[in-house]
Amino acid sequence: MNRRHALRHIALISGGLALIPSCDFSQEDILAAYDNLKITPSQKALLGAISDTIIPAGEIKGALDLEVHDFILVMVNDCFTSENQEKFSAGLNAFPDFVQEQSGKKFDALSTKEREQLILDSAKLEGDETEAGKRNSNISYFVNSAKRFTIQGYMASEYIQTEVVPYSLIPGEYNGAVLISDLQKPRVNG
Amino acid sequence: MANLNIRSKQERTYQAIVIGSGISGGWAAKELCDLGVKTLMLERGRNVEHIKDYPTTNMLPYEFPHRGQIPEKIKQENPVVSRCYAFREDAMHFFVKDTEHPYVQEKPFDWIRGYQVGGKSLLWARQVQRWSDFDFEGPARDGFAVDWPIRYKDIAPWYSHVEKFAGVSGNKDGIPHLPDGEFLPGYELNVVEKYFAEQLKKHYGNDRHMISARCAHIHGNAEFYAQQGRALCQNRNLCQRGCPFGGYFSSNSSTIPWALKTGNLTLRPDSIVHSIIYDEEKGKATGVRIIDRLTKEMEEFYADVIFLNAAALNSNLILLNSTSSRFPNGLGNDNGLLGKYVAFHNYRARVSAEYEGHSEYTTSGGRPTSGYFPRFRNVYKQETDFLRGYAAGFSASRWTGTDTSGIGMDLKNSILNPDQYGPWRVGSHMMGETIPKESNYVALDPNLKDEWGMPQLKINVDYDDNDEKMVKDYIEQMTEMFTKAGFTNIRSNDSKQAPGLDIHEMGGVRMGKDPKTSLLNANHQLHAVPNVYVTDGASMTSTSTQNPSLTYMAFAARAAHHAVAESQK
Repeated sequence: MNRRHALRHIALISGGLALIPSCDFSQEDILAAYDNLKITPSQKALLGAISDTIIPAGEIKGALDLEVHDFILVMVNDCFTSENQEKFSAGLNAFPDFVQEQSGKKFDALSTKEREQLILDSAKLEGDETEAGKRNSNISYFVNSAKRFTIQGYMASEYIQTEVVPYSLIPGEYNGAVLISDLQKPRVNG
Repeated sequence: MANLNIRSKQERTYQAIVIGSGISGGWAAKELCDLGVKTLMLERGRNVEHIKDYPTTNMLPYEFPHRGQIPEKIKQENPVVSRCYAFREDAMHFFVKDTEHPYVQEKPFDWIRGYQVGGKSLLWARQVQRWSDFDFEGPARDGFAVDWPIRYKDIAPWYSHVEKFAGVSGNKDGIPHLPDGEFLPGYELNVVEKYFAEQLKKHYGNDRHMISARCAHIHGNAEFYAQQGRALCQNRNLCQRGCPFGGYFSSNSSTIPWALKTGNLTLRPDSIVHSIIYDEEKGKATGVRIIDRLTKEMEEFYADVIFLNAAALNSNLILLNSTSSRFPNGLGNDNGLLGKYVAFHNYRARVSAEYEGHSEYTTSGGRPTSGYFPRFRNVYKQETDFLRGYAAGFSASRWTGTDTSGIGMDLKNSILNPDQYGPWRVGSHMMGETIPKESNYVALDPNLKDEWGMPQLKINVDYDDNDEKMVKDYIEQMTEMFTKAGFTNIRSNDSKQAPGLDIHEMGGVRMGKDPKTSLLNANHQLHAVPNVYVTDGASMTSTSTQNPSLTYMAFAARAAHHAVAESQK
């Protein structure tokens, strides 16, 4: 029996404690910035680590350097329906246990390769109506949303749009027939 | 005391009052002021000064907390405006929120509004195609609505007049039912759009055209527009934020500052028009009663001539609310037709596809317009099982894809170097003429009021069988044209969107020759109250297929000159 199940049992035994923590954040404050979600600092840190696995630092900065995990939480908090917020949160809550089950370790303790594989695998989890299936579906929803927003938040960041691939407010006169072979775009090496 | 009152009344008296500061009100005011008429412009919303009140205009993508997306809470509270394509994080401050200004939908109607100085001229799609006699003669030829009391020759010089000042770019295309105008250099079609135009010529002879859409952007003659403080369009495609260059035409960048410069214009924002005052003894309108938006106090202003340009449905509302013992059912409404025969444009269907050809090409830079496919159905004679026809927008674009299936450094390098060219994507959307009907109407709700005590507008507008047939025909025909052009993966979609989302609502105060069957005469005067002119979308007898704003501008300018000529008789 894992800790969450244990807690739920305790709550049932003690006669219906109203607030059952849905994950291990009973000792932590909830971050007020994301008021539609119940996100703890350690969950935010985990999301940061996940985003940094999706887009790591190299020759140019990575997702964590740009605090893309804050953007992910802002988008989920403000732009998701409450139903999708619940799926996202449930997936985030279930993620540490999932990692433990799959690898016997915490996410932090995994190598880069292992982390990457774990995220790719979890994005492909398929759900069904069983308890385990619902958990799988929440985890893949969480991971895919996190990945989508990591890419969006990273590419649409001030750093990328000013220092790496500058955004132009004035794109210039239209040319409707540019030979692709004439384009010389320098390759950006991440 | 008496003297004070007299003075106060004098201070509130002008030669003309223009109700509304959007695209047609701006034109009415500009022309009146240019002709030396002391004019008061009333606008129900807040002031929006050119450049100064465009808070997002120079913001960069990453400065928007949600990168353009509208937060869920705002969407849920405002479902109608949230369906509008331009209601995004960068321009949402220029749209009316559903919660602020409720109305009654007897049938679903997405009423998209912009309550501020400049109105929707800040937000419009800037497409400006002229009407021709194939449009003005439509109702008479096909036996619907009533005959327009004017023809192309009446309006053509005014099209020229407004095009020159507003700045319209386009090409001389020589299409009889889409007359050429006073154009600045046109924008270029891209290689696939040109290819499609050639394919149409090849398969349909000279019946079907694909041209560069005429748009109200400054694309040449920079010195002339500098007089208005406007500059060349910079191809930013951020128009809905308000343009700091004045690159596209809006009341804010063009007509209003011009009119203010004459010294003849007084602009009063925050003035919700309650009604037009009718004096039974004088047998004419003498002024306008307003509710101050902020203080909610009522005040009256007086003038010899009133221009009503509150945007189509609100112009109906104001006339319906302007009751007197002479006009118990609304000003000028002797025949009971005020608010009826409302129509719109049918924007329901889209067809999109891919094109494998011209794969060696892409595009660069930006342009503020795209392709335009003028009406081809029933132009010269009736030939289908539905009346009238549709125009369509058309554009082709080349996208670079990125592979986002990976993770880590692979993913990072993939998204930073988007160099996988997919096929060209082509897309088209229909713009169908709808037939005005008595059963499509607006009226005042007898019970519900807004925050200022104004009756809420009740809207009862729907599609009909003619519209359904037209949607079907558009999808069939565009699919056939795409197939003949060698496009692949052709998909069509009927969004079934409610009327209104086209933002081309028209009618209710229609023009006509006969006071028994219309509200306005050939000069946009109420038949029964000739010193009231209605020159916005409310005056439309039929809708044709062209984006209507250019026609409203020409109407307003023409009517303003008529009013001044009348006053000098």
